[in-house]
Amino acid sequence: MAAEAVVAAVDVGMTVEQIKATQIGFKAIAASIAVGSTGIASAIAETAIGSAAVGATAENKDVFGLVLLLTVIPETIVIFGLVVALLLLFV
Amino acid sequence: MLEPKQMSRLLIAASRDQMAPVIAELYRHNLFHIEDYVDAGAEGYEGFKIGTPLSGASEKSADLVKIRAIANTIAVHADDVDAKPSCSMDELHTKIERDLPSLEREVEELTARRLKLEMRAKELEQKIAEITPFADIPVDMNLYHGYQRFTTIAGYISREVSLYVPHEMHLSKGKDRNFLVVIFPTEQKGEVDKALAEAGFQPVPVPEESGSARGRIEFYSGETAALHKEIAEINRQLGDVKQKHAAFLVACEELLKAEVDQTEAPLRFATTKQTFVAEGWVPVDKVAAVTNSLVYVTEGKVFVTVVPTDFEHDKVPVEYNNPDFAKPTQVLMDVYSRPRYTEIDPTLMISIVFPLFFGLILGDVGYGLILLAMTFGLRKFIKGVDGQYMLDVLRNASISSIFFGLLYSEFLGFAIPGLKPVLFSRHMMAEAAEGEAMASHGPMIPELIILSVWIGILHVTLGRILGILNHARQDHGEHRIKAMLANFGWIAVMWGLLVVIWSIAPMPLMPDLTGLPAVVSIINIGGIAGIVFAVLGILLIARDSVLEVVELPTIISHVLSYARIVAVGFSSVAIAMVINFMAVGMLIEPQLENFSIFSIFIIIAGLVVFLLGHALNTVLGILGGGLHSIRLHYVEFFTKFYKGGGVKYIPFGMKRRFTED
Repeated sequence: MAAEAVVAAVDVGMTVEQIKATQIGFKAIAASIAVGSTGIASAIAETAIGSAAVGATAENKDVFGLVLLLTVIPETIVIFGLVVALLLLFV
Repeated sequence: MLEPKQMSRLLIAASRDQMAPVIAELYRHNLFHIEDYVDAGAEGYEGFKIGTPLSGASEKSADLVKIRAIANTIAVHADDVDAKPSCSMDELHTKIERDLPSLEREVEELTARRLKLEMRAKELEQKIAEITPFADIPVDMNLYHGYQRFTTIAGYISREVSLYVPHEMHLSKGKDRNFLVVIFPTEQKGEVDKALAEAGFQPVPVPEESGSARGRIEFYSGETAALHKEIAEINRQLGDVKQKHAAFLVACEELLKAEVDQTEAPLRFATTKQTFVAEGWVPVDKVAAVTNSLVYVTEGKVFVTVVPTDFEHDKVPVEYNNPDFAKPTQVLMDVYSRPRYTEIDPTLMISIVFPLFFGLILGDVGYGLILLAMTFGLRKFIKGVDGQYMLDVLRNASISSIFFGLLYSEFLGFAIPGLKPVLFSRHMMAEAAEGEAMASHGPMIPELIILSVWIGILHVTLGRILGILNHARQDHGEHRIKAMLANFGWIAVMWGLLVVIWSIAPMPLMPDLTGLPAVVSIINIGGIAGIVFAVLGILLIARDSVLEVVELPTIISHVLSYARIVAVGFSSVAIAMVINFMAVGMLIEPQLENFSIFSIFIIIAGLVVFLLGHALNTVLGILGGGLHSIRLHYVEFFTKFYKGGGVKYIPFGMKRRFTED
């Protein structure tokens, strides 16, 4: 990392500190994209399931537990996003 | 344990005159799950008909309906009343005969009066609504009507309008629209209507009132207020009735329900002119007791026998058979589906693993204590059996949360002073302890994720092993072996892939097989073995069903799904730390350093942020910890072996709470 940073610093005329700061910044941006985009994806998936779930519950209250679960199934997507973000930031 | 209670199919036959004692005895035992007789000419049941209710059924049903109507009106629920047998059945019967008619009359009169008053109040409110638009026009309402040659029209109009006939007009301007009253000669109605219609006029009825509009509104408002006062008084009286008679009503309801159930039981039996036959299910260990007492009450005039169970066609009712500590978890099972009779019942496993997952996700001593206190506090308000079970589940989960909170060393997001995390640290801003690398660089994300992936691998493998067992128990012939091998194939593919990964890259907390002798480029002996294992697994899966091969990626997605244990937990830690930083770091601490009078307000604001934030995070913690833990069971674990769809065991009888037998 350090050697690459020095080489890169020479190439673009930045100091090593600037390069490091940029790297941290890009990591943060990447993490935010990972969480943000997967969050939107989960939300889109859950809207359809959620409205169907409310409809089903209105017809038959007994299915509430089951449809609550069906609604959270797409949350897996955002969880993957969160895991990726955590790996980016902390590993 | 791990399987439902064993049931025997019992056939009871006797002459009709023994029907009442047999029914009463079965009801008392509360063990016999009646298999309803369907008049479909089943083999051996030719000439049988569905029975008719015992005598007195309709009167008792009528009484029951009355009691339920009263209970409904004054909102009495059996769950809200503390259970205590109040009096014997005879006493209740005399009480029903003596008190019920007068009680019914009282409640009926009160509700009828309330209805009348409510209707009158609505009428008056309607009148007020009609008069309100006229309030801004300074004309006595008497002047709007009583003419022979003139007509009055009132309504809303969007803009001003000019009429070319003799008329008198009042226009009061409003925000969005104007209110207009016009009086004009009746013979020119056509022209006026036309002109108004062009201006987008919406007519409203002119009220038949006299005096000033404001005065009338005031008068009617006063009257409505008086009516509402009377309604409140009636509600208070109904409340008194509820307080006085709630215990009596729930006891009556229970008594009459028991009697109606018994008198209507023959509707579920097969009968001829002289005899009746009842079929149903009784737990194996209770067969002798039920049989003996039936023989005893009928003085031997009954035929009771155990019919062999036909697992293919019989729908054997399912009653859980779990140790006490696992019983509350049955609620979570019923939310998904009750196990089939021939299936392994995973309740016991969930009762252990669910709290563990919950604790791993919400491992925080503070939140655990809050939840624990909540479960004890809510016990007073939630009285139903299911509700109590749910609280038990939450209690176990919160104890686990406290335990893991100690391991993580977390208290409302703060590190517990002097307690190093035994399990991997989840603190984002963990301070470096002297000479220690472990906690010096914040949370140990890779270790935590791999820990949760390990949990996933083991959980999914357990699911597949249970799948093998279930197929061995339920299937027959060639399919049985194929299905069992297919489940083994899934395990083989997963572990094969794992071995391949281990042989390529070293990972923390996982076996390192990279040191084995290499064969081709990065593939070493371990890798080859893994590949062979995985391919063998795929072949076994395809042999059972080729389409299943499409599902292969779920091996990875399901195992990685367990990473939510870390991810959801970590998000909860992050929220807690942000709240702490905002409340303590930004608001409270700087003020304590430079204390002034004004600081008090900021410190109070900081406390509010602290309390609200942690309250919110507690709710999120229950949702995150609970929903995700149970979801891991339902989606990742159950899909490997569990079908569900068993029939609930509903014994004929009831647990008496308010009456004595």
